[in-house]
Amino acid sequence: MTLLEKPRAEAGEDRPRPRPGLPLSTRDRLSAIPFLIGAVALVGALLLVPFIATVYQSLTRDNGFTSTFIGFENYLNLLENPTFGRSVLNTLMWTVGTLILPVGVGLLIAVLTNSVPGGRWLKYVFVLPYALSGTATAVIWGFILRSDGALNQAIEFFGGEASTSGWLLSWPTNTIVMIVASTWQATGVTVILFMIGLQAIPKEVVQAGELDGASGPRLFWHIILPQLRPVTVVVIGMSIANSLRVFDLIWLLTKGGPGASSETLAVTMYRQTFILSDYGTGAAVAVVLSVIIVGASWFYLRHQLKRG
Amino acid sequence: MYRRYGVKRRSLVTAVAAGTPAAIVLASCSQGSSSGGQDAGVVTLNGDRADFTDAYELAGAELEKITGYAIEPRNVPSTENYQQVVRSSLQTSSTTDLVKWWNGYRLQDLARSGGLADLSGQWDSAAEKGWVNPETRDSFSYDGKVYGIPMYKSYWVIFYNRLVFDEVGIAAPTTWDEFEDNNAKLRDAGVTPLFATQEAGWTSSIWFAEILSKLDPQFYTDLTAGEAKYTDATAQEAMRIWAGMYAEGYFTAADVAWDSEPSLLASGEVAQVPMGTWRNGTFAEAGLGEGEYSAFLLPPFDPATAPSVIVESGSISVAEKAPNKEAALETMANWLDPAVQRPWVENIKDTSANPQVTTDDPVLETVLEAVSEQEPTELVRYWEASPPALIEGGVQHLGAFMADPTESNIMPTLENLQSLADDEWARWDAGS
Repeated sequence: MTLLEKPRAEAGEDRPRPRPGLPLSTRDRLSAIPFLIGAVALVGALLLVPFIATVYQSLTRDNGFTSTFIGFENYLNLLENPTFGRSVLNTLMWTVGTLILPVGVGLLIAVLTNSVPGGRWLKYVFVLPYALSGTATAVIWGFILRSDGALNQAIEFFGGEASTSGWLLSWPTNTIVMIVASTWQATGVTVILFMIGLQAIPKEVVQAGELDGASGPRLFWHIILPQLRPVTVVVIGMSIANSLRVFDLIWLLTKGGPGASSETLAVTMYRQTFILSDYGTGAAVAVVLSVIIVGASWFYLRHQLKRG
Repeated sequence: MYRRYGVKRRSLVTAVAAGTPAAIVLASCSQGSSSGGQDAGVVTLNGDRADFTDAYELAGAELEKITGYAIEPRNVPSTENYQQVVRSSLQTSSTTDLVKWWNGYRLQDLARSGGLADLSGQWDSAAEKGWVNPETRDSFSYDGKVYGIPMYKSYWVIFYNRLVFDEVGIAAPTTWDEFEDNNAKLRDAGVTPLFATQEAGWTSSIWFAEILSKLDPQFYTDLTAGEAKYTDATAQEAMRIWAGMYAEGYFTAADVAWDSEPSLLASGEVAQVPMGTWRNGTFAEAGLGEGEYSAFLLPPFDPATAPSVIVESGSISVAEKAPNKEAALETMANWLDPAVQRPWVENIKDTSANPQVTTDDPVLETVLEAVSEQEPTELVRYWEASPPALIEGGVQHLGAFMADPTESNIMPTLENLQSLADDEWARWDAGS
C-alpha cells in the first residue's frame, strides 16, 4: 500500500483540490451525482436489492407458492440443526485448508521454479489445471477418488490395500480429499501471482542480502518473503473468498453427502432452497454465509490495510 | 485520501460479498425462458426430459388428428431447475399449458398451491373407456379431485445380464432363497451381483424400498403414509436384511457413479440392477442386444407374503392459468387414447398407463407377463409416496447408511429417519 500511495499523493499536488477541513460546496456535491448514478444503480440493482430481499425472505416461511412472516424462526431452527453445525465446521475446514494448501504450495512452486533451470516451463504443469472449470475438475477427481477409481486401482497395483471405506464416503476424509482436489485446481493462480511478486523484487535487495551472508532459507525468510507481502495479501484474500463460496466441486463429487457429511454453507443454502423448496431457510443460510464472508473480508482487509 | 479510498474499497468488498449468495437465491426466482409464448394451434408442454422430445411430437401428431391441437414440447434439462421454473411460473400467465410432474405427494404439493386445473372429468371418462386403472386414482389426486393424468407406467424390476447368468449357470429367481443363492454364485464367480449407489442422492432409497416392500407390502404402504414408524420391528428387519447382503459382498461400492450403471450391466461387471422400466431404452443403448438382458420381479422375502411391485408414473397436469386451457383439457382427455399411447411408449421404450396398449419390446413383454401372472399389489414408489421434504431428507440418512452398512448403524439411521418423519409430517399437515 505504501508504494501505491505515493504516486497518488504526488499526482494530487499538481491539481487544485479543496483544502483539508473545508467541506465541499453543495454545488460540487450535486455535480458529482450524475457520475455516480451508473455505478450506484448497478450495485443497487444487482447486489443491494437482492440482498435486502433475501434478508426479508429469511424471515418468512416460503415454499415457493406462499410466504408467511415468522420472524427469526428459521435462524433458531438452524442453530438446533446438527447438519448446519457440520456445514459450518466443513466451511471452516475449507477456509483453513485453502489458506494453507494453495497459498503454501503456490509459494513453494513459485520459489522453486523461479530458481531452477527450466523452471519457467515446469511451472506451466502446475498452472494448467487453473484453466479447467470447477465442473471439469470435479469430473476428473471423481474418476480418481471413487471406490472403483484410479487412486484405489493404483494402490492395489502397487500391492497396497485400497481404502475400504471409500475416499468420498466418510467424514472428514471426504472433505480433506476435496480440499486437495480444489488445491490442484486453484494453485495455478497463486503460482502466477507469486511469480509476478518474485520478479518484482529488486535484484539489488537480494544481492545486498547475499553480500551480508544470507543464503538458502535465511535469505528466503528474511529478504524475499517480506518483499512478497503485497502479493500475499491479495492471494490470501482471494483464497478466503474462494473457500467460503466453494460449491461446484462438492456438489458434483458428493452432493454434500453421504448424509450431509461433506456439506458446506454454500451447499446447504442450495439444498434448502432448490432441493427442499424451503426458501426461507435457504435465505437464512445465505444471510449467515454473507455475514461470514463480509466479516472475514472486513477483518482481514482492515487488519492488512492498517499494517500497510 | 488514503482513508477515503480504504473505506470505498471495503464497502465494495462488503457489497460484493453480501450480494453474491443473495443473488444466487434470487436468480432462482426468474421464471426461465422455457415458459410462455405460443401458437393458438398447439398446446405447450414443459418437462425435464429432453430425451422425450421426439416422443412428445409423435404423440402430439396423433393428438392433432383427434383434437386439432399438437404438442409443442419445451425442456429444462436439470430436474432441480425445472422444478424451480414450474414453481415460479405456474401461478402466472406465462406458464406452459401442460406441465410434466410426478404423482403422489409431489403432485399434491403442487395441487394444493391452487396452480393446477381439476382433471377429474378427464380421468373418469378415461376410466370408463378402460384407458386407465381406476385403482391408481388416489396417487393422482388431492382432496378427492384428480390433478394429473399418468404419463407412463414404470414397474420397478431387476434387470439382469442373461449372458452372465448363462455363464454362471443360474436362472431368474422365483423365490427370495433362489435370489440369495444366485447372488452367492455370482459373487463366487467374481461378478458383483447387485448394483447399488448413493452417488446420485435419490438412488439410496431404491434398495430400502425394494427390500421393505418385499418383506411386508402393507408395512411399506403404512410407513410411507406416516401410519407406521421407521423404528418399528419390520423396518429394523428390512435394514438387517440389507446390511446382511452388504456383509456378503453383494453390492457395488456406495459411491459408484449412477451414470455408469448401464455400462456396468452391459459389460457384465455387475449382473443385476434394480430399476424402473423407464431405463429399459438406456440398457439397449449401452450395447445390450435383444436376448442379452431381461428382467424379473423381485420375489417376496417370504413365499407366504403376497407379491408386490413398486410402480412409478410420471404425470401430466394442466396449469390453472394455462393460456390455452380449453385445448390443454381436451388434450388430456385424449392423452390415454391407444392411438396416442402406441407411438408414445414405443418411442420412450416403457409401458403405457393404458392397460389396452401392449408392447412388442421383449423385455417389457416379460415384465407384463410376470405382472399378469402374479397379479402383484401395486405400490407407489418411495420417491412419491411421502411428502417431498421427508423423502429428500430421508435419502440422505439412507445414503449415510450405505456408506457404513453395519449392524450398529441400523438404529441410529432409523431413529434419524423417524425424527425427520415426525417433523416433516407435522409441517405437511400444517400445510407448509
